[in-house]
Amino acid sequence: MTFIESLSAGFFLVAQWQSLMFLALGILIGVIAGAIPGMSATMAVALTLPFTFALQPILGILLLLGVYKGGIFGGSIPAILIKTPGTPASSATVLDGYPLAEQGRAGEALSMALYTSCIADFISNLSLIIFAAWLASFALNFGPPEMFTLIFFSLTIIAGVSGDSLAKGFVAATLGLLLATIGLDFIGGTERFTFGSVDMRGGLNFIAVLIGLFALPEIISYIRSSKEKDLQVRNIGYSKLSWADFKRCLKSIFRGSAIGVVLGAIPGIGAAPSAFLSYSEARRASPNRDNFGKGELEGVAAAEAGNNGVAGATLIPLLSLGIPGDVITAVIIGAFMVHDLTPGPLLFQNHADIVYALFIGLMASSVLLLIIGSVAIRAFRYIVDVPSNLLFPGVLILCIFGVYAINNSIFDVAVMLVMGLVGYVMLLLRFPAAPFLIAFILGPILENSFRQSMLMSRGSLDIFVRGPITILFWCMTIAAVVVIVRSTVRGARLKRQLGKSVKEKSD
Amino acid sequence: MLSRRNELLIGLAVMVFAAVVLWWLIPAYVALPRRTPINALAPSFWPKIICWLMLVCGAALTIRAAITACPPDAIVVKFAVSIAETLRLAGLIVILAATFFALPVFGMVWTSMVAFILLVLMSGGKNIGWGIVVGVLLPLLLYLFFTKVAGVAIPQGHFVRLP
Repeated sequence: MTFIESLSAGFFLVAQWQSLMFLALGILIGVIAGAIPGMSATMAVALTLPFTFALQPILGILLLLGVYKGGIFGGSIPAILIKTPGTPASSATVLDGYPLAEQGRAGEALSMALYTSCIADFISNLSLIIFAAWLASFALNFGPPEMFTLIFFSLTIIAGVSGDSLAKGFVAATLGLLLATIGLDFIGGTERFTFGSVDMRGGLNFIAVLIGLFALPEIISYIRSSKEKDLQVRNIGYSKLSWADFKRCLKSIFRGSAIGVVLGAIPGIGAAPSAFLSYSEARRASPNRDNFGKGELEGVAAAEAGNNGVAGATLIPLLSLGIPGDVITAVIIGAFMVHDLTPGPLLFQNHADIVYALFIGLMASSVLLLIIGSVAIRAFRYIVDVPSNLLFPGVLILCIFGVYAINNSIFDVAVMLVMGLVGYVMLLLRFPAAPFLIAFILGPILENSFRQSMLMSRGSLDIFVRGPITILFWCMTIAAVVVIVRSTVRGARLKRQLGKSVKEKSD
Repeated sequence: MLSRRNELLIGLAVMVFAAVVLWWLIPAYVALPRRTPINALAPSFWPKIICWLMLVCGAALTIRAAITACPPDAIVVKFAVSIAETLRLAGLIVILAATFFALPVFGMVWTSMVAFILLVLMSGGKNIGWGIVVGVLLPLLLYLFFTKVAGVAIPQGHFVRLP
């Protein structure tokens, strides 16, 4: 298929009312879920996943991408109106969003958040279209050793930046890798850790693992404390965003979007660090820097540009290399797998129509987000009123039906329940869940590329430094470890100093 | 940040877990073919690498906890669980386990209805009226979606079967 043929085939896939309807539905679900404190965009995508089994691949994937995009924006609504970020990515939006709401300027803050989200999302999607195909064509030259070093590098970053300790991140990643070895060995066909169970021969279903890991711990946490939060919703008011205010924030919006694109394309970093980096850069460069933290529209714009700028870019490593950049894209990979599509360089060769349909759908999602987001802002008061003691049991029931529907298997439900408990223990012990899940997904590919490499080299490890690409990935891995260790040590020192000063003050 | 004692225990637990897998579970539960041309192709080779890595990370966690100074109390997260919380957690685990075992016997719809209402009651019993309405409707709607739209055979149980 030529580029034009692929593009037109993709256009015809999207240009049907069902595609746009599912995309819009996804955005609506995402905005609502993102706006409910306690529900995260990840949880929303994970819970929507089982409903895509009955759909055509493109419709299912567009639905999930809509939930993802909507969820990231939706998180900013409670961040501004009730000082509670709906998703971790919106934490930076609270800093200026809530003070603006206290001043009766919530309408301006929300409009700024919406417009910025749409612009940053559009820029991020554009970067995906430009870079994904290029990276995929480059990745076609990768052999097993290059794939091994690339995945090792990605896992190192994910393990390093997801929690507060590199060692804990690595432990979580090794647990995920170990869990991925359950089942039949794919070379010899012998059993590994199946304990004689027929159900375990096929390995653990990854959707059951991820739903258990990301949805159940929230339910367990809620049941443990069982407190309805007393949420004070600020009025939106009648203040409108002026063109002059919007224009003076444009520089921060474009800068934040660029930061989001760069950080989003690196596996593991995610939206929250991007939002904080964009915010701090905007504060450093702004003439109104003294006003940041007290209710500055530019602060809201920078934070939202940073977190929405990642949305398209995280799909770059997913689509071109088959490596999920964060937890949400790890869930989205499930939608591809369910429909027998394998993300990676070959996707661009074998299913170019679906790839281009996704690109066109993503561009359309920015416009749909603008329309649906502006309605959601007005409806927020009703969304936040959903009582937690109905919401969380409902999530559990959705999890049970959804997980069962994957393979018609009660065993998968058991896997989900056990993984929920494991996820909760990890939460208590401060082990990050992201490296666990991503290592679980990438484990078989990592092992396969390792064993293929060893077979190629007849057992010699020299193959892992056979060319410039593998050496580059090793150098990047070492550099990443050094940077992560340094920043972890610095962060721990800062926390201790802070703790000491708090203690001295209280004494 | 957890207390130094807890971090130390976590590090030791990780090491013990890695050692158990390495020296007991792998030899006992990884079946080996008679001959492998290269050691690295043996099914136990990759799990062993992972366990060694885990052992090293566990040792790193333990050593770090042992040699660094105690963090100030202000930043330490404590694991204090009240009796009410313990009871609620135990209740939840019982409900989850009972739900799992009841699924094939009573069917997914009826079991889900009971589990939903029990969880609403466990979390303070507010909105109980709505809890019953949603608890009945949600599993029925999910049943309709998955059986009629997605074509999934939802377990019906041995007693009351839905159309």
